[in-house]
Amino acid sequence: MNPRIVVANLIVSIKSFYRARSTLFFMIAFPIILILVFGALFMKQDNMSFDLCVQDLDHTDSSAQLVKTLDIDGRFNVIKIDPAINATQYTKDNKLNLVLMIPKGYEGSFMQRMALHNPDASVTLTYLYDPSSIFVSMKMQILNSVFAGINQKMSGKPPFIRSAETSILAKKYRFIDFFVPGIIAMSVMTLSLFGTVNLNTELRQKGVIRKLSTTPITRTDWILSNILYQFILAVISTMAMLLVSYAVFRINLHIDAWLPLFIVLDVFAFVGIGMILTRFAKDAESAAAAANAISFPMMFLSGSFFPLEMMPGFMQTVARILPLYYVNEGLRASMVFNDHMAALRYSAIIGVFAAVVFILGIIATNWEEGQ
Amino acid sequence: MAKEAEYAIEVEKLTKRYGELLAVDDISFNVRKGEVFALLGPNGAGKTTTVEIIDTIRTPTSGKASILGMDVTKRKHEIVPRIGVLPQGFSSFDRITVRETIQYFSRLFCCRKTDVDGLIELVNLTDKAQEQYKNLSGGLMQRLGIAIALVNDPEVLFLDEPSTGLDPRARREVWKLLLGLKNKGKTVFLTTHYMEEAEFLADTVAIISKGKIIAMGSPDALIESNANYLVLTLKPVDEKAIEIVRTMGFEPVHDNHEDIKVRVEHMDDVQKILNTIKDGGALLLSLDVRKPNLEEVFLKLTGEALRKNPAGGVAE
Ligand SMILES: Nc1ncnc2c1ncn2[C@@H]1O[C@H](COP(=O)(O)OP(=O)(O)O)[C@@H](O)[C@H]1O
Ligand SMILES: [Mg+2]
Repeated sequence: MNPRIVVANLIVSIKSFYRARSTLFFMIAFPIILILVFGALFMKQDNMSFDLCVQDLDHTDSSAQLVKTLDIDGRFNVIKIDPAINATQYTKDNKLNLVLMIPKGYEGSFMQRMALHNPDASVTLTYLYDPSSIFVSMKMQILNSVFAGINQKMSGKPPFIRSAETSILAKKYRFIDFFVPGIIAMSVMTLSLFGTVNLNTELRQKGVIRKLSTTPITRTDWILSNILYQFILAVISTMAMLLVSYAVFRINLHIDAWLPLFIVLDVFAFVGIGMILTRFAKDAESAAAAANAISFPMMFLSGSFFPLEMMPGFMQTVARILPLYYVNEGLRASMVFNDHMAALRYSAIIGVFAAVVFILGIIATNWEEGQ
Repeated sequence: MAKEAEYAIEVEKLTKRYGELLAVDDISFNVRKGEVFALLGPNGAGKTTTVEIIDTIRTPTSGKASILGMDVTKRKHEIVPRIGVLPQGFSSFDRITVRETIQYFSRLFCCRKTDVDGLIELVNLTDKAQEQYKNLSGGLMQRLGIAIALVNDPEVLFLDEPSTGLDPRARREVWKLLLGLKNKGKTVFLTTHYMEEAEFLADTVAIISKGKIIAMGSPDALIESNANYLVLTLKPVDEKAIEIVRTMGFEPVHDNHEDIKVRVEHMDDVQKILNTIKDGGALLLSLDVRKPNLEEVFLKLTGEALRKNPAGGVAE
């Protein structure tokens, strides 16, 4: 390893990047635009209460009281559905994403529990929902927390795990706070993957790689300077995203050592994949196509755009085999929930993955043409 | 210390296979110090494969090559600082200026002090020093490529088709530059499919075809020993003159234009042909007599043209 050579290489990369205004725009501005657009959409959702359709089959004072509680809470704008109609059909026809059904006999059970102190009396509320909607699980989580509050109050005892409960309820569930870490993970992935693939195929095609093999630069110097370069880009891009999201949306995220760690792992993993792709792709086009084929599904299936809980079960399973999932969830664990244990778990998994692909990438990087 | 070798480059029984394809087939030659050695041959002959084995980019299937007495497969690290390479079709970083590019490559050979401005002047790019690579013309790009190959003041220079794709003026500029290097005593190993280039620059030419060296020597000697005749080029008004030449027992060959070429042994034959055409009442627009060039040597040795014209059938 020769630091002067690494630095010389880094300078050329950074100058090239800085002078290519169009890539500069796409790489840095694109994720910011995503944040602004989606953030604006979600912000509306934050300020307005959610629509919640309720079908009250019980039609009693008690059930009306429950509906009112949901309305008063301010998070929901309750829309009542006529008990006479078929709720499933109605939901489909009107493209509703969630209908809360209060069953017949609600008041009966309620009385049993309250007046007769029958501990076995309970009631089951049904969620009729469309799993493909990204708002459903948010609404359901809010409902669950409201119901948890009611249950707790009805028990008549002060809450036992008070701190946990208040922290969940006190923290306003902001979509943008989930969104930004996912976009950071995703854009670091695309920067590293496409950066590596484009750089390697372009320089190979130009004959620069052959030229370099007749100079004292080693593969180690070369790979190291590329990694450093990708890391610098990732940091610049991440800082830009955080600054804009803070300025516009006042995001509320914890920034600590986990953030650079996950960025480093993200960079290593996708630079490694990029190096492997370049080795096996015949030309620049097929390498770029392969990079697209990897990054595109990763973007949508690993939960970069929205928390995974909002996706149907089988897609959650799919997500777990995608490396980007662990960066998304790791960043959310640290930035949204400040949950170090979870962050550690996710970082361990993506760390092992990054180490393996990066080593494979180094092995795959061959400067000789032909065999 | 090992004794300094007499030759800058020694190649012995070098062979390279790509799967079934025998790209370089058991070739041997030596390049003296300070000479310009040209490997001349058509596309696909194995020039790049040969030069890239010698300048350590590729590895041979068998055989041996050494530079300055050092085996290319075993002592790459010692060889690299002492050679300069311009790979075929090399192009540099688009958005880096001429000066920055030379600086970058000289930093890769970090222990040396490169006279960056001197190099820029040498390749005549002083006006363009602050220009980004992508804005240079093809000829300037090639000259920058040569400057890059010179950053470490190499003893042996490898240039793979340095003037391919350039217009005649730009090509001549490159030749002038290479002639200057030759006069400075650099050993230059160059590949080309332009016979004028080999003839103009090289002390020794090796003609390569289908991976084999089929002739080697100074351009003059090659022509002397392989093409001992004169080439008479005629531009006739009509077919009549051609007919007359044919009946005289010569074999007129159509050139790409309206010209016909006739191969003759002596100046006397030229006289005879001209007289007969005149007596036959045919007219000529122009005529030219010259000694054959390497193109004809190649044609004679392989039966193929060095540069295939589009009508020349399928390559390979
Ligand atoms: N890396 C490679 N893999 C397979 N075949 C190759 C490779 N490089 C060159 N060839 C083949 O070897 C032959 C010689 O190629 P090359 O050395 O590039 O010739 P030239 O430089 O004279 O045009 C050609 O038929 C070419 O297709
Ligand atoms: Mg070639």
